[in-house]
Amino acid sequence: MSAAGRSAFWHSDGRRLSGFSALLLLCPFFVIIGFVFLYPLAKLLVISVMEPEPTLANYAKVVTNPVYARVLLRTLWTAVLVTVTCVVLGFPVAYFMTRIRSALAAVVAICVILPLWSSVLVRTAAWAYLLERHGLVNTGLQAIGLTDGPLQLLYTQSAVVIAMAHVLLPFMILPLYGALRSIPNDYMRAASVLGAPNHRIFLEVVLPLSLPGVVSGSLLVFLTALGFFITPALLGSPQELMIATLVSQQIREVLDWPFAAALVGTLTLFVTFLALVFSKTLRFDRLMGAS
Amino acid sequence: MTDEANKPSAAGASIHIRALEKRYGPVRAVDGVDIDIAAGEFLALLGPSGSGKTTILMALAGFEFPTSGTITVDGEDLTYLPANKRNLGMVFQNYTLFPHMSILDNVAFPLKMRGVSKAERHARAQQALATVRLEGYGERTASQLSGGQQQRVALARAIVYHPRVLLMDEPLSALDKNLREEMQLEIKRLHAELGITVIFVTHDQGEALTMADRVAVLKDGRIQQIGPSRALYERPENLFTAGFIGEMNFIDVDVQAVGEQFRVALPSGEVWDVPASAVVEPVKVGEKAVLAVRPERLQLGAGDGRYSLHVTLRDIVYAGAALLLIGALPNGKEIRARIPGASNLGPLAIGSVATFSVPKDAALLYRGLGQ
Repeated sequence: MSAAGRSAFWHSDGRRLSGFSALLLLCPFFVIIGFVFLYPLAKLLVISVMEPEPTLANYAKVVTNPVYARVLLRTLWTAVLVTVTCVVLGFPVAYFMTRIRSALAAVVAICVILPLWSSVLVRTAAWAYLLERHGLVNTGLQAIGLTDGPLQLLYTQSAVVIAMAHVLLPFMILPLYGALRSIPNDYMRAASVLGAPNHRIFLEVVLPLSLPGVVSGSLLVFLTALGFFITPALLGSPQELMIATLVSQQIREVLDWPFAAALVGTLTLFVTFLALVFSKTLRFDRLMGAS
Repeated sequence: MTDEANKPSAAGASIHIRALEKRYGPVRAVDGVDIDIAAGEFLALLGPSGSGKTTILMALAGFEFPTSGTITVDGEDLTYLPANKRNLGMVFQNYTLFPHMSILDNVAFPLKMRGVSKAERHARAQQALATVRLEGYGERTASQLSGGQQQRVALARAIVYHPRVLLMDEPLSALDKNLREEMQLEIKRLHAELGITVIFVTHDQGEALTMADRVAVLKDGRIQQIGPSRALYERPENLFTAGFIGEMNFIDVDVQAVGEQFRVALPSGEVWDVPASAVVEPVKVGEKAVLAVRPERLQLGAGDGRYSLHVTLRDIVYAGAALLLIGALPNGKEIRARIPGASNLGPLAIGSVATFSVPKDAALLYRGLGQ
């Protein structure tokens, strides 16, 4: 199909959609996005530079105050750890799903997606229950003699990373599965008949061809992790704030809207920058499973 | 293995397939197949889909292990050897060039797997690309090449490590007609140059007949006939092969006498005496039999020493080099004749009665169906 054909909109009976009708169809979505997302975000950004007077002082505070800079870096580092954990845990699952009968793969896919139907709060609370002083993990570790007394698991960076990785894992597995599934089986067969043993087929063919999926999944997980609120708030240490928690604190407790807005602005800038950098390597139609 | 890969092998390997059987549950995809392939031979596996030809190739390549039977290459049993240890070349229907590698790296891939140094494998990949007349294309990626060029790269990749056997799984069916004919010649030329044993799976009988030294015709997992193209076409051993290879007219007859001459009665009441040499399958007096005649052996008008068929013309189709006349016997059985396109039909038109004549050596006699 030609490039023009691909980018056009079509009626269900095959006629080409006029530009006006296409616009009309897209309208409701963009109106909502405009009202509930773009408008408030723009308002916040305005506040961040206009209050109390036209100034960049709020941003200067984010960057120069070591406490806040550390929060920003900790947030980035946590998001990186969560992303790496998701790749490591998600890749084998996605690969396994492409290697089994499709009926079985559907069952695995449901298992992967099912947690998405329960609330993040529930999943986070479950981890709090597991990781607490007398929780299942601690009693288990003591029972098999690995530790003498209960460990401080809850309210640590590790707890946050583990729980966030768990919550975000489906967003890694699904794009990975899409990328892996779109690799024709004949490539593996060709590599094999050309003399590649299994581990080299994986390293030379499967892994490089699945990279778009790795990038898509990583970006989804990383960007979502940056703004995560509930999990760090419930499982993290109060001494180790992440940016979303900090923003909430500034708004609800300190009532410093301009500074909270500057934090949001910094994060938005950073995310936009990342999206621009990756827009070269990441094709958004790939995210939707197109090959 | 590295030494072996470096040394150009002079010729192909001989292959022996013995009692090969592959069952998927109750389905016998391959049902007791024996094939002996001589070193350097070009063998085509021909059959409709589901005939087992691809399953045989998968067993040869090592992608599927047979339920029973053996495959030996130059005396070495590799029935259950993994694909990567067989050292066979293979070309797939969909080219299967790795999209994340340059053309040169694609061709060098099998050498890389064999531990050949980078400089040497690139030099040899260049050489292989030259063999398929694609020198200078090494830096491109697969998506920048046409289908025919991609398949030639795949060919270069399959021969760069000098395998003794080249397996081809419908390698030309994704190409358009002109390109296909060009590639047929290219593959034949390579086969002659390299002396490699080629096993070529196709559902295109024209391709099988023109390219292969011998053709194995398969149906329902069994070999129907295996032999040189000419034998297959001129004297098919059974009705399936007769109907599958080329066009064939079939006429049901009753056997009235056997001996030096076989006397058969046609549905129209005419009686033909068929020489014993035309009897492919033994028939008895009183049995039903089938006469088979190629459309291009029929001529318009009666002739001395020839059989005659009287048909009502149903259609006249002009097809350039040939003129296709479709007629019907009195019992409604369709008879086709292909005569030179320049023939003068005279007063013949659709609906008129025409006489076709058949040379005495053109009719073959088979045992009838449904007995």
